Amino acid sequence: MPSDEPAAAALHGRLHPATLIFTVVGLVRSTFFPLVIALLAGRRVAWYLWAILGFAGLSLLWSVARYFTFTYSIAGGELVIRHGLVGKQERHIPLARVQDVRLEQGVVHRVFGVVKVDIETAGGSGAEASLSVLSVAEADRLRQAIFAQVPGAAADGGADILALAAAAAAPSVLRRSRGEGETLWQVPLKDLVLAGLTANHLGTVMAVLFGGFALVDDLVPEESEKQFYRAAARLLSRGLAQAGAAPWVVIGVAIAAGLASAAVFSVAGSILLYFGFRLGRDGEDLHRGYGLLTRRASRLPRRRIQVLKIEEEFLRRLLGLATLRADTAGGAATAASQQDGGAHGGRDVLVPVLPRASVPALLPQFFPDLEPEPETWRRVSPRAVRREALPGVWLSLFLSAGLTAVLWNVERLVPAGIVLPSLWWGALPLLLVPVSIVSSVLSYRHLGYALGARYFRTRRGALSRAEHIVPLRNVQAVILRQTPFDRRQRLARLQIDSAGQVYTGGGPQIEHLPVAEAIALARTLAREAERQRYRWDR
Amino acid sequence: METPSPAEIESAAHTTPTRLADGRPPAFTPLDPRVVSLWRLDNAVGYGILLLLSGAGAFFLGRAIGPVAWPWLAVAWGALALWSAFMTMRHPTLAYAASGYLLEERVLLIRRGVWWQTIQFLPLSRLQHVDLNRGPFERRYGLASLVLHTAGTHAASLQIPGLDADEAVRLRDQLVATGAGGDDAV
Repeated sequence: MPSDEPAAAALHGRLHPATLIFTVVGLVRSTFFPLVIALLAGRRVAWYLWAILGFAGLSLLWSVARYFTFTYSIAGGELVIRHGLVGKQERHIPLARVQDVRLEQGVVHRVFGVVKVDIETAGGSGAEASLSVLSVAEADRLRQAIFAQVPGAAADGGADILALAAAAAAPSVLRRSRGEGETLWQVPLKDLVLAGLTANHLGTVMAVLFGGFALVDDLVPEESEKQFYRAAARLLSRGLAQAGAAPWVVIGVAIAAGLASAAVFSVAGSILLYFGFRLGRDGEDLHRGYGLLTRRASRLPRRRIQVLKIEEEFLRRLLGLATLRADTAGGAATAASQQDGGAHGGRDVLVPVLPRASVPALLPQFFPDLEPEPETWRRVSPRAVRREALPGVWLSLFLSAGLTAVLWNVERLVPAGIVLPSLWWGALPLLLVPVSIVSSVLSYRHLGYALGARYFRTRRGALSRAEHIVPLRNVQAVILRQTPFDRRQRLARLQIDSAGQVYTGGGPQIEHLPVAEAIALARTLAREAERQRYRWDR
Repeated sequence: METPSPAEIESAAHTTPTRLADGRPPAFTPLDPRVVSLWRLDNAVGYGILLLLSGAGAFFLGRAIGPVAWPWLAVAWGALALWSAFMTMRHPTLAYAASGYLLEERVLLIRRGVWWQTIQFLPLSRLQHVDLNRGPFERRYGLASLVLHTAGTHAASLQIPGLDADEAVRLRDQLVATGAGGDDAV
């Protein structure tokens, strides 16, 4: 669509000159290690050096050309982005399709007073357009201009960017963002610390530690690294020997040190990501702003919440804490979660951590016509206990029989005089029987659903718990499943399909329903869904 | 029996009274019987290729290992052949008996699965678009299949296989008309 003269452009702009600095910084960062390696390797691989420099030069040229040719404008209900020196590129994004304008501001961004702007559309995969970087004021102007033309968006949307600008201008990075609109929830530092301590981040911590070791390996000469470890080990063992500690104490100390450092990393990660988390509402729009070093702000029209999940991981539940997550319609979410490998910068999260007791009061902010929390939940069939416990019982009987047989045979084969474990050890797996029965009973007692006039809720889990709330208007399909084992017990599993189930772990489902009840429930849900409107955009 | 009567379900404690519909098993419309032949042909071709390939693989494996391996390979290949025969001859009739669809007011029900059974309930207003597919084998038997697309995640496309070609066109038009009947098409 060649439209050389943007007629009556409401807004016309270019990237901030700091873009060039970020380009150079990025380039240096990506070529630094290859360069160092090439230099260390000496003259033998000179071609390698030239290849790196050539590549860097070319990409620098490309970036500079892109910067000088990059323009954007809003005209005729479209955001038009043009760039390219030789092959000119032009992208038209209808403003009505814009779902979110996301802002991200890292530490360096703050120094220059700029932000990275990502524009997301429904159905697009990932960001439809990325403007990196704009000045804070320019980003705000762009956001205002976009939402001024998006039907249904609050006219004075984009409050958070002003807060961001204020935070950027402020001398202290610790200043909190004060967005406009009503503040629904602010996460205090104490809760973030608790969230970090209770997070299941062990895997992440390990990855960070190993990454750190690998980096040290790369940077420090091997010999001095070895010396350091040897000295550290000597120091530690001498200290422990003086204290008269046994080897198991050493192991205990090591484990404690590992756990402590994991906790520190986890708390630091939680604070870095979510510091100053504020959830606000401005008309129909929810605003989130958070982050200590890299600040993020995003807008989510509450109508787009497809499924809401109240998550209570075991440790957090003990402290009375919960997490609120939401699935939203639009392909962008799927792509983002894949790109970030599940970390996705907290974008799935409505509130990262809050007291469970505060949740009911907050829910009407997301679902204005939500019915009050059910006093009693409808339970599934009591046959659920048998259905769930039986596999565990059979498994433990099988293991026990197998172990006994092995012990029996070994006893006959081994010559007398060698002491063997008693045959009674064969009964050890039977301990699983009560465990599996108790866990089945517990999970039965917490499995339940509640059908209201406009919302369907399920809850599950004994130790870790989760509650799903889905507006009936968002139900896309209802699926009943029956395995051969279910059929023996005349049970069925009901699953609700809605758009964009990415962040809530597959949305609401409930198993072990008696077949007739499952059919009745599925019929009702489908009929109600049919009666109620579903709309993508609002 | 623990099947609750509708009255029992109604009386279940909820903050808002439940309005559960009745839980009688739906009376599904069966697929076109010719689909059994189609599935037999499909499976005969698919499993035939599998048997040929695995037979060749077993032959070379046996030659490489030596005569010890022949009985084992023969048993394994024989088991695969038995399974293929079952899937070709018997499974299509079972699958036919377990499949069906039904339009209950404005909700389409689709049923499938011999051992792992599912029933999908699709409110027709959620229908995004409908594809009508006719593969080469399907054309041979005068059959067609419908693929119904929703905005959902797990059941983003639902299939009704084995429809008479004319019936498929009629059903598609009916579904689209019914779905568009509400003003809430996306």
